Amino acid sequence: MPDWMSTFPGYQQILENCTSLFASVVRTGPVPQHIGFIMDGNRRYARINQIEVKEGHNAGFESLARLLQVCYKCGVKSATIFAFSIENYKRNSFEVDWLMELAKMRFGQMIEKGDLCEKYGIKIRTLGDKSLLPRDVVECLEEAERTTANNSKAVLNVCFSYTSRHEITTTIVNILENVKKGLIEPGDITEDMITNNLYTGDQPPLDLLIRSSGVRRISDFLLWQCHQEHCDIEIIDTLWPEFGTMQMCLLLLKWSFNRTYGRKKYRGKKETKKEKEKST
Amino acid sequence: MPIEQDYSKTENGTQPVESDNQDSNKTPTLPSFTANKSSQTVNTLWRTLITPNSPNVTPNSSYYELISFYVYHGLLVLLYFNIFIFGLITFSINRTKLWFFELAYNPSKSPSVISADISKLNKIPKRISVILNLKPEETENGGISGLISDSSEVCAWVVASGIKYLSIYEYGGELKNNIPELRRSVYKKLAVYYGTDNVPTFSIKVPHANAIYYGASDQDIDQQRYKNTSYKPILQIVLLSNVDGRATIVDLTKVMADLTTTNEISPKDITVKFIDDELKQLVGEEPDLLILFQPYLNLQSYPPWHIRLCEIYWEPDNDAVTYPVYLRALQKFSTCKVNVGK
Repeated sequence: MPDWMSTFPGYQQILENCTSLFASVVRTGPVPQHIGFIMDGNRRYARINQIEVKEGHNAGFESLARLLQVCYKCGVKSATIFAFSIENYKRNSFEVDWLMELAKMRFGQMIEKGDLCEKYGIKIRTLGDKSLLPRDVVECLEEAERTTANNSKAVLNVCFSYTSRHEITTTIVNILENVKKGLIEPGDITEDMITNNLYTGDQPPLDLLIRSSGVRRISDFLLWQCHQEHCDIEIIDTLWPEFGTMQMCLLLLKWSFNRTYGRKKYRGKKETKKEKEKST
Repeated sequence: MPIEQDYSKTENGTQPVESDNQDSNKTPTLPSFTANKSSQTVNTLWRTLITPNSPNVTPNSSYYELISFYVYHGLLVLLYFNIFIFGLITFSINRTKLWFFELAYNPSKSPSVISADISKLNKIPKRISVILNLKPEETENGGISGLISDSSEVCAWVVASGIKYLSIYEYGGELKNNIPELRRSVYKKLAVYYGTDNVPTFSIKVPHANAIYYGASDQDIDQQRYKNTSYKPILQIVLLSNVDGRATIVDLTKVMADLTTTNEISPKDITVKFIDDELKQLVGEEPDLLILFQPYLNLQSYPPWHIRLCEIYWEPDNDAVTYPVYLRALQKFSTCKVNVGK
């Protein structure tokens, strides 16, 4: 959408009304219950627009708030965002420090009265290895979790200091510790047990994974959750800060269309043919 | 939206009171349907007829809710229709593009053409993985024979590109059930590309069954060469299916659980690297490039541990295993930059 349009009076109001209308329309069909976001492209955005890296991250956060509003309006129950990977500690210390500052600031902002969380009844949960984080950031995250603990309409999972391999390993270690304590028999371990013990275990299965900035990689995010057939992965070419409401609406609509009219799957057809042969 | 909610609230609020009154007036022995007047019966019939199959709307919803549902759902169907038309247009554009690519890049069964294409690229993956689909038998290249010929074609391209490791994923594991045919087919295909005197050596590994097969057949004269343990074949093929995904991780957990009960390992010793090493043994290394020969991105239960950093490539609306898709995947890979977290 061109920039000049947003300068018109009443533009925000119209946009709001349009998304509300769209939400009521989309709600009459299937809606993804759990969406994962890989927010990629903040730094590239900063480089292209010749602004500082931290400004790029700021723009990225605004984009996130915009998208979450659309999602929750449309009836998405749970969203998981990849905020900070364990691998991100390798970045230069200025940027890491700034990202920590940003996280503290934004978490504070999100739980303020009347903001996003209260408006949509969002419960914030942080997923990841908190032992690697500085003390003050951990306190801030826990504060956010505490204040929103009673909200129940929707969930926002923030993956902070997270990688999926680490998550799977932690889950396995937890199960093994229970085995050692004698709570679980080794023979009783199943796929579902691992699924339910992951950080996202109590949430609906991941239906849609969105990655921005055209990189065709999963980058260690929700590997266990996203690799199955019921999860669609969308890779879009726009940079994260430019990812707008319109595009999100289109993605939701596309997902809904694919669920309603089905994507062609080859599997299973062979069996039906064999059955036909048997019956004739 | 708010108006609608308010309305439904008042509806819900008043209805139970009415029904309570009715219940108290009626004698308990009378079946409840006798209380229905004909107009009420028609009403309920009509309601069940027009109530859509949607969790948002129940048969108890008010007429206002039903009407608004239909208006909105009508709009949604209209939007679906637009998506459908748009999809048709992009489908034909993509298909035309693919058709041109097929004209432009043709390996013409010669390894020199392929290696000339590959030599233009800055970097090539060390390990490559493909997802193939079993198609219904009535389609072109369908059925198990089609799957086997597609796999052997891919093997020939991979050998010609100088890549030594190829893993083939097929959801149902049909390739694993047809090893003898696959071995023969790969041998034949390589013979077509390289000539019968100079067929590259290959091994086929099935990690799930812990089996490894060398060359076209066990009676082959080449078997002497493979007996030497230090000999490495030119191409290593690994066959994967959905059992190598979650099921293998579950099995690994079970084995580790058995070991913890006998105190042979402690849960504290289990690290990401430990599991990674184990899964490398059980399934194989993570590929650098994963090519999907299917119209859209869906990983079909591909081993989850092994898709951490690999570049994924697929061609929209393509469902054939063709050389241009393979070449474009390698071209894309040569331009991409992996920065782990940095």
